[in-house]
Amino acid sequence: MTRVGAAATATRLRLPALGIGLGATVVLLFAVSLAVGSAPVLLAEAVADLLAGRDSLAALVLVEIRLPRALLAVMIGASLGLTGAAMQGLLRNPLAEPGIVGVSGCAALGAVVVFYSGLAALVPFALPLGGIAGALGAVALLYALAGPGAGTLTLILAGVALNALAAALTALALNLSPNPYATLEIVFWLMGSLADRSLAHVWLALPLMLAGWALVVTAGRPLDALSLGEDTARSLGFNLDRVRLQLVLGTALAVGSAVAVAGAIGFVGLVVPHLLRPLVGHQPSRLLGLSALGGAAITLAADIAVRLAGGPELKLGVLTALIGAPFFLALVLRMRHEAAT
Amino acid sequence: MRRGLAALATLAALAVTTPVVAASEGPRRIVSLNLCADQLVLRLADRDRIAAVTWLARDPELSIMAEAARTVPITRGGGEHVVSLAPDLVVAGVHTTRITVGFLKRLGYRVLDLDLPVTLDAVRAQIRLVAEALGRPVCGEALIAEMDRSLAAIPAGRVGARANVAVWQPNGFTVGTDTLIDTVIRAAGLDNFAARRGIAHYARLDLETLILGRPDFLVVNRADEGPAALATEMLRHRAIDAAIAATRRIVVPTRLWVCGGPETAEAIALLAAATADGPRRSP
Repeated sequence: MTRVGAAATATRLRLPALGIGLGATVVLLFAVSLAVGSAPVLLAEAVADLLAGRDSLAALVLVEIRLPRALLAVMIGASLGLTGAAMQGLLRNPLAEPGIVGVSGCAALGAVVVFYSGLAALVPFALPLGGIAGALGAVALLYALAGPGAGTLTLILAGVALNALAAALTALALNLSPNPYATLEIVFWLMGSLADRSLAHVWLALPLMLAGWALVVTAGRPLDALSLGEDTARSLGFNLDRVRLQLVLGTALAVGSAVAVAGAIGFVGLVVPHLLRPLVGHQPSRLLGLSALGGAAITLAADIAVRLAGGPELKLGVLTALIGAPFFLALVLRMRHEAAT
Repeated sequence: MRRGLAALATLAALAVTTPVVAASEGPRRIVSLNLCADQLVLRLADRDRIAAVTWLARDPELSIMAEAARTVPITRGGGEHVVSLAPDLVVAGVHTTRITVGFLKRLGYRVLDLDLPVTLDAVRAQIRLVAEALGRPVCGEALIAEMDRSLAAIPAGRVGARANVAVWQPNGFTVGTDTLIDTVIRAAGLDNFAARRGIAHYARLDLETLILGRPDFLVVNRADEGPAALATEMLRHRAIDAAIAATRRIVVPTRLWVCGGPETAEAIALLAAATADGPRRSP
């Protein structure tokens, strides 16, 4: 009893420190992201021009090219971290993550259909709404196929099938579209990238993404109860159907808008909650906010790395998969080991 | 079963009959496997001697002969299809459909490989080469004369210093030295932004480099947005709108300078006229 109490106290003390530390890391990486680029723009000079209201080219590069990139990295990373933690709680499955289980893939499909049909140019917010529709379909399908208690294997297999189907339909949609570049652009939708995005993409994604965050974050306490089992959660007075709907909708809104402007970036939602969980104790509500910060930090760092790597710029999802996939394999191995002992 | 055998027999017959035609008459079943070869074949050969051109020849964005290509059969360049057309001359590009061309050469078909001409003299030489192969040397000379007349009609010696132009194509590609497009830019009395940065052939130009380099003019391939694509979406990035005024954007349709021919003169004239204001005045 005392040991548990001491651990809880330690976690309580550690939580603010962890939040501040992660927040500071995000701010630092955000500044680095603004300073990094192919052209020799001095950050200090550009900021000075901006503050003085001078329309210099350096200020233009900073505001119109680098700022949207850094903002999108934060927004998308936070969405992926947050929804990764939420899905792991909702499905009570440590391997759940938007990318692995096919939510990002289906969001990309929805966005692709809307974008290449020309609908995105005609109807405001059609692009993120297309991504959200795809994500919503995927989450609903996953919940039906591999809801709580279905086991890790079922969830992963459902994810494999969804990912394969989404990738195939994405390729089909691109093949049928009337422009000659479409088949080359499949890599963007499947691997994700923040290259050459503009402030227009930030404004496109932000409103619906914020709504998604709000839905997920306010489901923190019921998620805590849910981690003790459905019966317990119900006996504590939570309406489980409403909680599930809230989380499914929130995840779809956040992931759908993220994928619609940057393609599917995998593994962020897997790695971040896993790294943070041992530090905050197994309480989903605490994990949510920290995972959002952690996701933002990791995505910013990865997007800085692809720009520093040289050569033709790597897709962001390539880098996150290079780090995330071995991590995923290690998790599988550990789970197998735990199951054996 | 009998129908299948008959079809097989026809195919076999097609494969072994590589028609031999007297050189003076010229080839009678011409197949073109390359967009630029299409343009020359459509211009120089008799319509009824063209067995097929590529599907690209019908695209009005890419092909100056799109209208003419509408009444000619098309091919997507598969070896099987080309063989079934029983060509006696295949005109191909040295950089395209190489697998099909290798296959056709092994089977003994006569293939004329066309390189990408870089200079105006190379364009003339290529027109001459294709005209000879088609058995239409006189038509070739007439086409060259047409091009030279258009070139001579371009007003020479413009006022002001040489303006700096950047070609900005889908996916952020630009065109540097050792290309026909560079020749066109220089012939119009202009400076190629990419060439000045040491870029040869086609290469990606970074958005930041373009903005900071601040070219006097931006050359794009179409005025409207075209079908939705990420490749063209980036051409309308807000940073470009802010850095380069809409009045300093020149539209040179791809069909005017993707291949060499009389349209090359049209591209030069268009660029020269559109840049008559000269370079951007320093602020």
